[in-house]
Amino acid sequence: MSSETLWYANRATGAVCLVLFTVVVLLGIAVRLRTRLPGLPRFGTVNLHRTLSLSATAFLALHIAVAVIDGYVNITVLDAVVPFVSDYQPLWLGLGTVALDLLLAVLITSLLRERIGHRTWRAVHWLAYASWPIALIHGIGIGTDTGTDWMTWLTVSCVATVVAAFAIRAAHSARAARRTPAALLRTAEGAHS
Amino acid sequence: MTTTTTFTDVYMSPRLLAPGGTAADLATHELRYGPLSYGDPDGLLRTVAESGLTGRGGAAFPTYRKLVAVADASRRTGRAPVVVANGAEGEPASRKDKTLLRLSPHLVLDGLQLAARAVGAGEAHLAVEDGASYLESALSQRNDPLDVKVIRLPKRFLSGQASALAQYVSGNAPLPRHQHPPVRERGVRKAPTLVQNVETLAHLALVARYGADWFRSAGTPNQPGSTLCTLHVPGREVRVVEAPFGLPLDRLLPLQGMSAVLVGGYHGTWISATEAAQRTLDAGNLGAGVLAALPTTRCGVAETARVLRYLALQSAGQCGPCLNGLPRIASAFRTLATPGPQFNTRQDVARWSGLIEGRGACHHPDGTVRLVRSALTTFATELDAHARGLCTATDPTPLLPIPNEAH
Repeated sequence: MSSETLWYANRATGAVCLVLFTVVVLLGIAVRLRTRLPGLPRFGTVNLHRTLSLSATAFLALHIAVAVIDGYVNITVLDAVVPFVSDYQPLWLGLGTVALDLLLAVLITSLLRERIGHRTWRAVHWLAYASWPIALIHGIGIGTDTGTDWMTWLTVSCVATVVAAFAIRAAHSARAARRTPAALLRTAEGAHS
Repeated sequence: MTTTTTFTDVYMSPRLLAPGGTAADLATHELRYGPLSYGDPDGLLRTVAESGLTGRGGAAFPTYRKLVAVADASRRTGRAPVVVANGAEGEPASRKDKTLLRLSPHLVLDGLQLAARAVGAGEAHLAVEDGASYLESALSQRNDPLDVKVIRLPKRFLSGQASALAQYVSGNAPLPRHQHPPVRERGVRKAPTLVQNVETLAHLALVARYGADWFRSAGTPNQPGSTLCTLHVPGREVRVVEAPFGLPLDRLLPLQGMSAVLVGGYHGTWISATEAAQRTLDAGNLGAGVLAALPTTRCGVAETARVLRYLALQSAGQCGPCLNGLPRIASAFRTLATPGPQFNTRQDVARWSGLIEGRGACHHPDGTVRLVRSALTTFATELDAHARGLCTATDPTPLLPIPNEAH
């Protein structure tokens, strides 16, 4: 396989990873908000989130494998796991590595969820919210396609949807925190008297 | 200050409460009851099984079965159990645990040591509401095989719930947890945990000393023994009495001039005075032993509305049906308590009760629904009168004790 093919494959899988992980984050928020997706039973949301996250991870593995195999730039297996030690673009590549490490933590704890307990799993799962933006910055910084129209539009729309979903989720949490027995009693008594 | 009374017409010498209403120190305690002998754990378990002692915290669960379950869980998991004496008494109308701890602390502490020994516990706690500083001095007089730590709980209705208590002893907020796995298998720091009401432990101390036959000499064959009751009679001081099961209720409460009796506290049931005249003390509905008489001059619906408002505010807010349902029911009951048009409120309350029952991690919604349903039946005529814009009560002053009630 020529280096050029590998380079194209790397760019393509990178873009696909962006889209897939964006959808995974959106689905994760949908699970938390108990959203029912059209045409699916309620448990379908969480199943889709799981399945798609595994597919996205497979694409990510391909993305990394291609980058390591490609001989045009020197990226070693070590560079893929330990951040900021590579010769090529240490900062931007390092960010991708950080995102990968966070993702691995989320992935492994999810696979072992039955054993480690819900609390630990949940605490680690918050790292997903850090992994996504770090991976995004890695893409913008290192991507060959940054600046092209299609990539700009793809990035902008991904960021916009995730920010919107996160805002809804935060508002939901804030509302739930305000729902105390005392507050609900005040509301109910206001409605009745 | 709560007064204690020995009922001379009850034909029972007092077992738990020191006569005269003075606290018993260790010397007096040993003089009265004799020394405590531990014996072997299996022998004690057998005696407890024969005595038929049940929990006095409200659920009336057989003590023997709980002890065996905790010991079994400890054998399975290989962890030494934790024993917690529950003197939290979050029920605002109950005073019996506080009274018992003040008057006979050593009886409770004897029982705590015995229970700890029976299950092979490595840790013992005594959980009480804030205050009760005399417990430390009582503990310092003793020479116990197992050290007892006094835990002071925040004053909340649900603090004494077994899983909430286990959480608090573990260092978390005193909130109820899911009942599976139960506290007896995974409680304080995930160790098998025995949570036993302080009155149960006091009975246990006596069963260990005097045997099962002595214990069964009071009460009925099905419900042996005696129990502490908190009696609320308007115009009198609140009293804590010890009475055998099977005693007619009219021996404990004057029923002339009364319209209804609240049996078992704020998770209990209202029964009419005529029904109360035919009832006896029954562990099945006595809860933690609260009996409150409602005179004909007061409005039972208004009293229930006050209690329901308190119960709604005391919800831990963890389970949706309880968090959303109890405030709704409480405010609807306030509408019912006000004479005037009711529309569908009574049907709504009945429907909502069915929706929240059995759907909490703890039994707070269930207990509240029990009170609601009994009020709807017992005060049906009063509710009809309210619907016509009348109230038969003449005295609007609040009766039942509610902590920090805002008007």
